[in-house]
Amino acid sequence: MRKKLLAMMLATAMGLSLTACGGEGGDGGSSGDGGVSITIFNSKSEVQSQFEAMAEEYSKTKGVNVEIYYSNDTVAAHMATKYSANDPYTISMVDAKDVYSLAEEHAADLSNEKWVANTDYAISVGGKVVGFPVCVEARGVIYNAEAIEAVTGKEFKPEEYKTLDAFQGLLDELVAGGMETPTGIMKEDWSLGAHFLCEVYEEQPDVEAYISALHAGTADLANNPKWTAKMDTFDALKKYNYAAGSPVAAEREVTEQKLAEGEIAFMFGGNWDWSVINAYEYSEKMGMMPVPQNTDDGANEKLVGGGSKYMFIDSSENTSDEQRQAAKDFLNWIVFEADGNAFLTEQCALVPAFSNVNAEALDPLSASVKKYADEGKLIDNYNYFPDDHLSKCGASFQKYLADQIDRAGFAAEIEEYWKNTTPVEH
Amino acid sequence: MKTNTMSYKCKQFMMFAGVTTFIFIAVVIVPFIYGFYLTFTSWDGVSSQKPFVGIANYVASFSDVAYWQALGRTVIYSAIAVILVNVVAFILAFLVTSGVKGQNFFRAGFFIPNLIGGIVLGYIWKFVFNRAFVAVGEALSIGALSTSWLATTNGAMLCLIIVSVWQYAGYMMLIYVAGFMSVSADVLEAARIDGCTNTQSIIKISIPLMVSSFVQCLFLTITRCFMVYDVNLSLTNGEPFNSSVMAAMHVYNQAFTYKNYGTGQAEALILFIVCAVVGVLQVSIGKKAEVSA
Amino acid sequence: MDDLNERAARNRKIKHAVFMVVLIVLFACFIFPFLLVLINVFKEKGDINSNPLALVGSRGFTLKNFPEAMDKMNFWRSFGNSMVVTVSSTIFTILLASMTAYVIVRNKWKACGALFGMMIASMVIPFQVLMIPLVSFYGGTLGILNSRVTLIFMHVGFSLSMATFMFHGAIHTNVPIALEEAATIDGCTKWQTYWQIVFPLLKPTIATVAIIDAMAFWNDYLLPSLVLGRKEMYTIPIATQVFYGTYSTDIGLVMAALLLAMLPILVLYLFLQRYIVEGVTSGAVK
Repeated sequence: MRKKLLAMMLATAMGLSLTACGGEGGDGGSSGDGGVSITIFNSKSEVQSQFEAMAEEYSKTKGVNVEIYYSNDTVAAHMATKYSANDPYTISMVDAKDVYSLAEEHAADLSNEKWVANTDYAISVGGKVVGFPVCVEARGVIYNAEAIEAVTGKEFKPEEYKTLDAFQGLLDELVAGGMETPTGIMKEDWSLGAHFLCEVYEEQPDVEAYISALHAGTADLANNPKWTAKMDTFDALKKYNYAAGSPVAAEREVTEQKLAEGEIAFMFGGNWDWSVINAYEYSEKMGMMPVPQNTDDGANEKLVGGGSKYMFIDSSENTSDEQRQAAKDFLNWIVFEADGNAFLTEQCALVPAFSNVNAEALDPLSASVKKYADEGKLIDNYNYFPDDHLSKCGASFQKYLADQIDRAGFAAEIEEYWKNTTPVEH
Repeated sequence: MKTNTMSYKCKQFMMFAGVTTFIFIAVVIVPFIYGFYLTFTSWDGVSSQKPFVGIANYVASFSDVAYWQALGRTVIYSAIAVILVNVVAFILAFLVTSGVKGQNFFRAGFFIPNLIGGIVLGYIWKFVFNRAFVAVGEALSIGALSTSWLATTNGAMLCLIIVSVWQYAGYMMLIYVAGFMSVSADVLEAARIDGCTNTQSIIKISIPLMVSSFVQCLFLTITRCFMVYDVNLSLTNGEPFNSSVMAAMHVYNQAFTYKNYGTGQAEALILFIVCAVVGVLQVSIGKKAEVSA
Repeated sequence: MDDLNERAARNRKIKHAVFMVVLIVLFACFIFPFLLVLINVFKEKGDINSNPLALVGSRGFTLKNFPEAMDKMNFWRSFGNSMVVTVSSTIFTILLASMTAYVIVRNKWKACGALFGMMIASMVIPFQVLMIPLVSFYGGTLGILNSRVTLIFMHVGFSLSMATFMFHGAIHTNVPIALEEAATIDGCTKWQTYWQIVFPLLKPTIATVAIIDAMAFWNDYLLPSLVLGRKEMYTIPIATQVFYGTYSTDIGLVMAALLLAMLPILVLYLFLQRYIVEGVTSGAVK
């Protein structure tokens, strides 16, 4: 009896393991029906479902089996585990800084691709083009014009509020008109540390020189005019913040819902925020404007941004030449075929980084970005921040937001950070 | 049959423990040794180069202020959480062995949080702290509740502790229930006849007889708290301002996010040594108490 | 005397009433988070944001979160994967650990001492220490990641220490050596003695280990996420986590996903609740 039981247990275990083995035959090289299989790692969470739908369609029409992956880990950590496991994706969509750290060993040379001529945003490492720009993104202040006009009773023209003084006047007017807290601030460390703070560096006349000075400890951040201008504006956003009582508890979804539905009028962000806003009952009259600031360097007429998210193709022996070719075809499909264009600009609502791709049906925020980009009013991203900048300086910024430290203390922490960090080679 | 020869011993050992030894070495020991080797390299986690750097990573670990802060925080968190988990578990165990109606139902109910993984329950509690508590606070205008506890340094720590108590108390409760039930009714009856009150008999009789339950519970809670990662990740993710980063999370960030793989691995080994020392100390002290009781 | 008894009975009644109240309050605290998920899963996300405590949102009762979440996390496939991995790993762990514990308890050999010592020490190794070496050894050197068999192998490897430790205690205290000696005299080999005499006596501990390990395997996230890089192999925790990352702005879907992730184990618990509680309790007695 007992033996029987035991035998049964073993048999079940074996059986289950065998079922587990079944269907594991595919080593990723080719799928059952003879076509090529490629994997794509998507690191833009907001377009994950669009990517999955596209993969299904693409697999059907092109005979290339496409699978989309996403990870909650940071892009760098996920890439590290995939590469140490010798199990890379055929195409990986990563941030610019990851392209620089991974390309030399792992990225295929794309210099001879046709799309290279159609973009200003591709990344080259060691003289070879390796990074395919997925889209153009930019940061600025998102506004809800409908909400503003409802209070002021006159048309909202963002270009009238270039300076902090003008902006401040409008905020006061909104408060007087009954909108008690017209702004929202995202407390996420990436928004503060990687988006807002970085603009201080990116708007310096010579970014490289300024970063070197920070490393050397000779940059007097607290008295830098850009720092002062940006932080004055931040203080205004902070003062009128709907969550001023507990700013680091503000949840992104709640803030964006308030903005979408007009409870607040302004929030610092980027065109990627549309994917959150469009889930609510949003106003059509939204858009993005440069961060207002009291300056005469022209930065208050420009958004900050450029190419965002890059795809590279794996160059290792884990990916066959067939797969590499299929991957290159996929990139060409995005740029040169109508379906690919539609996928990029209509389904994903991304601002294309290629001159030949038209984008008519963009959402309001992306339309603003495209307008500024077309007019050449984009201040470039700086792509060589150390890996821990976001986390450490973002934490300092959160402390400032929560009034745990004052502006001088904040500047001191940032200066301290740079002094103790090894410069990124590039 | 000779049971004393080397070949008999080998055969027996291989028959019963051969597979186990193989799997254990393959899964635990080999990676452990390989990881130890990696602490002497400056590998960044993705490169195929693993340059040998001697003890540089250990030097870096010892001068990594954030790491020691995280470790100190973990010690404080663990100390409070371990005490609270065990106190709550003990009280629950006492209540559900006191003979009230439906005690089996309660035993089962308190155990439910154990059925759910750390990631999932972290997200649930995040929602509770950020939304539900705040909504309650606003509705009843209770000042302490009207802003999320997760937004302040001490609050985030408190939240982590609350969730740990909630998560582990049910499991530990069952171990204490077993302890209570192992104390024989005769002994308690005898004590009652001798004039002991309930409280007295718990302190004087049950607790000393339950030392092994305490040792077991403490060992389990201490090791779990020291290595906390899942809940830390999903509940606070280190926020606000990196003030709730526990040791395991710092190690992970150091290795992957900041790409100092060797340093992260060295810090992980230091964490292992701390855990091992605390675990061994606690068990050996417990064993002594058990013997003397 | 009667009076005294009556008083004692009344006192006990009061005491029980107080205990009951305390228990109910504590119980409410324990299940509050689950209730909250349960209320919100039937609401639209706008309503969840505006009032998480309301029983029904202003946009009314909705079931639409479920099919969407099930579809997006590919619920049934993940469920099947989780089942296969959990059941196989649990069975192998029990068989191997109990055998190992037996040979360790009954023999004072050096190999046994060394193995057991290493196992105990390994119980306090944080998983993060082993993570990357593990991935780079099995993936980089051997190339056998992305297989459920590898995951089962690793699950077993990591849980053997704790399981052996528990069986060690049980055999030490609960299996009388006289029984085994009698079997040996009857001509049983050690192997037969083990399966016919010892193993059946370990039932309570087997239940305990089965439950604790099965729960750990079912809920484990980090290891499966490293080993199973292919979608068709995702287990429920990986599907939940990926889901949370991708759709975290859609709180209604997240609620549904969380509920779905918990549901299988809750249902199982509902049926096995008595055995589970007994298993953990009896396993704890040493």
